[in-house]
Order: sequence, then C-alpha cells, then structure tokens
Amino acid sequence: MKTKHTSYFVISLLLVMFVPWTSFSQETNNTEKDTLIFKQKYGLRLGIDIYKPVRSFIDDDYTGFEINGDYRLTKRVYLAGELGTEQRTTTTDYLDVTAKGSYFKAGFDYNFYQNWLDMENMLYGGFRVGLSSFSQTRNSYTIYNTDQYYNEPVTFTEPQEFNGLSAIWAELIFGMKVEVINNFYVGVNAQLKGRITEDKPENFGNLHIPGFNKVFDSGRVGIGFGYNLSYLIPIYNKQKKVVVEKEKN
Amino acid sequence: MKHQNKYKIILFLLILIGTWSCERDDICAETTSTTPHLNIRFYDINDPEELKAVRALTVRALDSDGSDLGDITLSSPFDSIALPLRTIEGLITTRFALEKDTDFRLDTDAATESNVDIITISYRPQYVYVSRACGYKSIFTDLFITVEPDDNNWILTNEILTTTIENENQAHILFRH
Repeated sequence: MKTKHTSYFVISLLLVMFVPWTSFSQETNNTEKDTLIFKQKYGLRLGIDIYKPVRSFIDDDYTGFEINGDYRLTKRVYLAGELGTEQRTTTTDYLDVTAKGSYFKAGFDYNFYQNWLDMENMLYGGFRVGLSSFSQTRNSYTIYNTDQYYNEPVTFTEPQEFNGLSAIWAELIFGMKVEVINNFYVGVNAQLKGRITEDKPENFGNLHIPGFNKVFDSGRVGIGFGYNLSYLIPIYNKQKKVVVEKEKN
Repeated sequence: MKHQNKYKIILFLLILIGTWSCERDDICAETTSTTPHLNIRFYDINDPEELKAVRALTVRALDSDGSDLGDITLSSPFDSIALPLRTIEGLITTRFALEKDTDFRLDTDAATESNVDIITISYRPQYVYVSRACGYKSIFTDLFITVEPDDNNWILTNEILTTTIENENQAHILFRH
C-alpha cells in the first residue's frame, strides 16, 4: 500500500515535471493536454429518510423511520438498501385499520451522472426487492349497505389484530443524491412498486403494507417517495488521474 | 451551467413527487357486489313457469310491535321485488306486509278493498370483506320464510330457492298467486 502511494507520488511528480515540457513541444496544436491528480473518496454512505420523522410529528395517523445506505461497487454500480419501521392508520367511511411493521429493501443503483473530479453525486435508477413483516389491527368497521331503509348503520368497534403477515415486492427507484457540505448529501427519490406476494388476513385485506405503502384495490402497483439526508464515510481514498484538454490562448 | 441543470432536475423531481402523493378517492364502485337485497319473484299459480305481476303492490317492514316502517321503494312491474334486510348480528326475524290492490284501500269506493298478507323471514347476517373502498358487506344464511295464514291469503304457495343470499343475480324466494 505504501509503495503504491509512493509510486503514485513519483508518477505525479514526473508528470508535473513533464507536463510543461510536453506542452512546450506541442506548440503547433491549438489544444494542450493537462493531467490532474485528485483524491477520490468513496465507501459507505449512510442516511435517514427525513420525511418520515417529519410526517410522524405532523400526522397523528403515522409513525415511521428509515435508515438507508449505499456502497460503491464500481464507478457506476452501487449496492443499496433501506431498513425501516412504520405504523399507519387508514380510516375510510367503512374501515379503521392500523398496519404496523418493519421492512427491508435491498438492490442496486446505477449512477447516470458523470461526476466531476472528486464528487460522488448521483442521478440514479435502481432496483430493489422489498420484504415486509407486519400486523394489521382492524379497529372498527361498518357494514356497507346501499339501502338505508332501516336507518340502522351496523358498526363493530372491538379491535381485532391479525399477526404474522408478510409481503414481498419488487421496486424501481429513481432519484438523486447531491453533496451539500463536506461528505453530507441530500437526496430525493421516487419508487414504483409491484407486489409479488402478500399474506391476506382471513376475511380481510391489507390496506397498508409498511415499506410498500398504500395497497390499491385496483392491482399490484404501489408508489412511494423519500427525502434523505446521508453521510459518506470515506473508507477508500483513491488517487485518480485525468487528462484534460484545454484550449490554448 | 452544469449546476443550473442539476437544480432544474431537482425541482422537477420535487414537483413530480408532490403531485404523486395526492391520494386517489376511495369510492366503492356501484358495480361492486355489496350487501344484497332479498329477491322475491311472483309466478302464476295456474301456469307455474310464468311470471305474474302483482297488481298495485306495496310492501312495508313491520316493527316488533306491529307498526310499519314505511313503504319500501319497489320498481314495477311487480313480478319481482327486492326487499332490504337488516345487518345486525345474530338470527333476525323480520315481518313484511305485502299489500295487493293498494289503490282499492286508498280510493273512496267502499266496495273494493286491498288484501294484505304478512310474511315472516328469518335469516342470519354473515360479514364478508369486499375491498378497501367498500369495506365489509353482509350476506345472509339460514333463510326461512312463513306466510301468516289469514282468511284470504293471496300468496298461495311459497318456495325457498336458496337458503343463502349472496348476490342479487338470482331469485331467493318464489311466490305463486
């Protein structure tokens, strides 16, 4: 490792020495080549979804927290995942249901953004597989009846909990992460989900699945979004060489 | 220049996400099969395969003390009627007054009168989950009917076609008159 650094140093020193000379020798061209050396730092980026705690504070029917992370595998490909917990009460005219549980999502992100020098910004698209383990409590329900002849709405308010439910889904994620101050990133992302399997409680359905979000009557599709704040732990520092062409005056 | 573009993209994504988070209305579609009515069909006593409409029919549900709860809205022709059932828990008994020739009671001619037959229906609601928008519906099991005998019954025979009322696509009870 030490010899590697030394050799980089030697090479860079030589380059520094030779660059003026080469430029001098290329007097006839109208462009000149310039080589820069910069430090590239990358490693594990860990963060939290900042929207979930904010919503937990302002929305009585919601509590949630999520930590997320990515790890650079290659220049463009990142290993990425999220781990979270959610509790959400859904109230309609006929149902009052609380879903509670935790979820884990894992997959890859592909960075489309061409970073300038030492930046680790991302404009990415990715894929995840999500797994949720949750319970649903039916707090109350009212029997749906279009005929109000008896003027006798029937409502049951004895809560019933359905435990040990799980769901698996696939997810496409699109977003960006931008460095705002040294090693701190803010990000925003949108998720499009497709449910693969789910446990439905006996004579009931899932209204909300933690991590998957709202379950629509119309099908398997779900949506989500997140705002995150993350910190890049610079595990690796790599020196990188770039050749830049400059217009000559 | 490059930075400006970046912020434009951020703004665009934020707007996109903001509009996505608006929730769609959860309205139970009319086409969804929810709590069914009790379907009764009237057939001709002389021609058992032929539907026969009841002349000027009105139907009321009766309270436990015998007072009526008002006319049930029926659609003509009265060869087939749909009666509402109660959805409270347990075995329920509901009495209905089926009045034939209702106009004869309402007119001033004392020589003509209507004919009221009382039927007693018993059934047990059973709650079935439908969907997020509709919640639970009630279906009914253990259907049973008696026609209270009087001096002049116009309902001559009755028949239960199914003891479980799950939907409104079929008749559940058949009367002949």
